[in-house]
Amino acid sequence: MNGMMQHVKSIAALAALLSLGACATASKPEAMVAPVTIPVNKIAADVVISVSGGKDTSSMGASQISNAAFAQALQESIEKAGLFTSVKSDGARYSLTGFIGKVDQPMMGFSMTVKMEVTYTLKDTQSNATVWTKDINSEYTAKASAAFAGVERLRLANEGAARENIRLALTDLAGATL
Amino acid sequence: MEVMSNYIRMASLAWAAILLGACASVESARAPDANVHKLKSFYVVRVPEDERGIEKLIAARLEKMGLAASSGDADRPAEPVDAIVTYQDRWMWDITMYMIKLSVQLHDPQSGAVIARAEATRPSLQRKSPQGMVEEVLGELFK
Repeated sequence: MNGMMQHVKSIAALAALLSLGACATASKPEAMVAPVTIPVNKIAADVVISVSGGKDTSSMGASQISNAAFAQALQESIEKAGLFTSVKSDGARYSLTGFIGKVDQPMMGFSMTVKMEVTYTLKDTQSNATVWTKDINSEYTAKASAAFAGVERLRLANEGAARENIRLALTDLAGATL
Repeated sequence: MEVMSNYIRMASLAWAAILLGACASVESARAPDANVHKLKSFYVVRVPEDERGIEKLIAARLEKMGLAASSGDADRPAEPVDAIVTYQDRWMWDITMYMIKLSVQLHDPQSGAVIARAEATRPSLQRKSPQGMVEEVLGELFK
């Protein structure tokens, strides 16, 4: 009888937890902003950013990284670092594109590791010449202690992999000669 | 301790139910300016953990599509190719093992950059054979 009660309590507790945390949430831009320390206005021109290859999150699916969220994180990271003079929505001297080529996610697990690959290309909009391109691989592991719900750990792993990817990209771009 | 193991058991069952009952999906994306239709020769890199020969299935399907394809363990082919193919296969158990997700990427052989990708996810009730998954993903990649 005691065992039966424990079982019922477990089911009730689990149902409550699932109802609170089972739905997948999209990766948040603010959590993907990379801390980059580089000289301010390293590139003395403005830039426009576009991202493709991302995916939207459905509530019953896995947490994903959308184009808009990654572009916003990339923009905020550039502004925070002061890499360009400004980020514009159009009509800038440079065009920075990011193609999310891979987001390798686990189906389940206690520790969750996400591997990410993004190809960045910087073009001079005046000459249409590619002045810098780099394929960046990154990964991040959200440990079991990071969050109780798996969907939450996956989101944290997504955000960590994206943050590291942006950090590596901007560090490389800051060292490039245009 | 028993309560904890009940939690884990129930959480596993709930997660399995979500995986079994979800919808199948297939999707793809291409890098700006990428033209996959001009690519004629491919090299598929075997994933070290893959002992099911998925790399051979991908190469065989590419050949069936009229394209030149080879596969192997090395990161780079012996002969130059138009694109290098990588993949990630995910498997689940439901009475038998089945492939729940297959992702395939095409890389530029010079820069290593991904130029196109496609993936299919099929839960247990909508499962396909590995050959079927490969056919579906490559069909999406070259559509």
